[in-house]
Amino acid sequence: MKIELNKISHTYDVEVLHELELVLTEYNAVALIGMSGSGKSTLIRLMAGLEKPTSGTLKINDWDVTNDAEYKKHIGFVFQSHNLFPHLSLKRNITLVLEKTRNIPLDEAEQIAEANLRLLKLEDQMDKLPKNVSGGQAQRASIARALSVNPDVIFLDEPTSSLDPILTDEVLIAIEELRELGKDFVLVTHVMSFVRKFANYVVFMQEGNIVEQGTPKILDAPKTEQLKDFMSKVH
Amino acid sequence: MNKPKKNKSFQVNVFQNRIVAYALAFATILAFITFVIVRQTGTFSLALYRPYVTLIRNGLVNTIVVSFVALVLSLIIGFIFYLMSISKIQYFRAFTEVFTEIIYGTPLLVLIVISAFVIGPAFNSLDRNTMGYIGLITYMTPYMKNVYKSAISSISDEQYLAMDLFGFTPYQRYRYIIIPQVIRVLMPPMMNNFSQIVKGSALLNVIAYGELFYSIRVAQSQNFAFIEGYMLVWVLYLVITIPLSQLTRYIERRWSL
Repeated sequence: MKIELNKISHTYDVEVLHELELVLTEYNAVALIGMSGSGKSTLIRLMAGLEKPTSGTLKINDWDVTNDAEYKKHIGFVFQSHNLFPHLSLKRNITLVLEKTRNIPLDEAEQIAEANLRLLKLEDQMDKLPKNVSGGQAQRASIARALSVNPDVIFLDEPTSSLDPILTDEVLIAIEELRELGKDFVLVTHVMSFVRKFANYVVFMQEGNIVEQGTPKILDAPKTEQLKDFMSKVH
Repeated sequence: MNKPKKNKSFQVNVFQNRIVAYALAFATILAFITFVIVRQTGTFSLALYRPYVTLIRNGLVNTIVVSFVALVLSLIIGFIFYLMSISKIQYFRAFTEVFTEIIYGTPLLVLIVISAFVIGPAFNSLDRNTMGYIGLITYMTPYMKNVYKSAISSISDEQYLAMDLFGFTPYQRYRYIIIPQVIRVLMPPMMNNFSQIVKGSALLNVIAYGELFYSIRVAQSQNFAFIEGYMLVWVLYLVITIPLSQLTRYIERRWSL
């Protein structure tokens, strides 16, 4: 996957990202880590085109993220809480997207939905509403929804932050299995053991800056005081 | 030692049985009402109301019709008010806020009387009944506005992000995602408001509109069966409102998201 951040700044009430620069070409699973408020969630949202940066340009796989409306059709995004449409069954959450926004006939959309839900081991839950399944199942359904549009890149924004430890494992195992699909992944998470297993590049952020980056080995041999401090807190 | 313990738990069970508990609660209230009626009259009989069946039936129909019309119109005007309350034009927002405060502070009875006897005559052409309905509708408008507000705000910002991400068109967003959810959230409070309208419509009797309560009063003035009349009107209102609130609760359970 190619990632190119060029002087990316972003301001809500105050500036939360400060002229970020990052060029990556050869990694297909990039993890953004850091404390709450470090700007990692903002960055992943900018990278997915959910928000426009206040200034700077960014490219993902040569797509101009901020200006090319077509880009969003080629990515999948998994939110912190599952963010399924609550009035639709798990399956309908997927088929509605395929049918209405990708112009896929309903019967074909259903096959795609069922295949993806099966992949996430939800074959028994497909016709249930999100409120009637566990948080882990709902989050897996939202991963299935993200996959069903056949994206090139999948963004995962703290996909387990609203789950208890058992459900967290359940979801992380499911995500790990997705590596075999050969897609690109960008992930924000607090679970360092998962970063070690899953990611092949790590970007550590603090207070809106990229402080340290490299392969997951940096987690065990941090160069900066900030990462050392962070690792001592998250174990 | 085992036996009394068993007995005690049996007693507890009877009181904790759902049906028994509800039956007892109902019986308690019925007993109180019966006591009051017996104290008031030795010969409780609805027979004196037989000649007035048509009158009362018309009153009942009028109550239902006026409530339904008030519901529909307050839903429409309430929606306009909701749009005004989120408008970019500050005057509109200020107007809905001031209006809401005033209506919240006004008893429905006062609003009906002022509409019919003060505002109506100022515009010569409008008749008293119409002004009465307008009073009722006006009273419900801010409540309906709030129903829309809470229903629409129940759709999270994240959901809009997801719609954006997948590229739903504005029409598709409303048709498949926003409106179906809003209707589910909106139904229970809207039906509560409908119940409030039905009850509030009884106050239209002060302007001599022929709704249920007024019909009973007319009958009472001729047959003098006051106790029976008041009991009858009470029961008739409950016949409308209790099924309504049960239906509301059912929908709330079935449709909650």
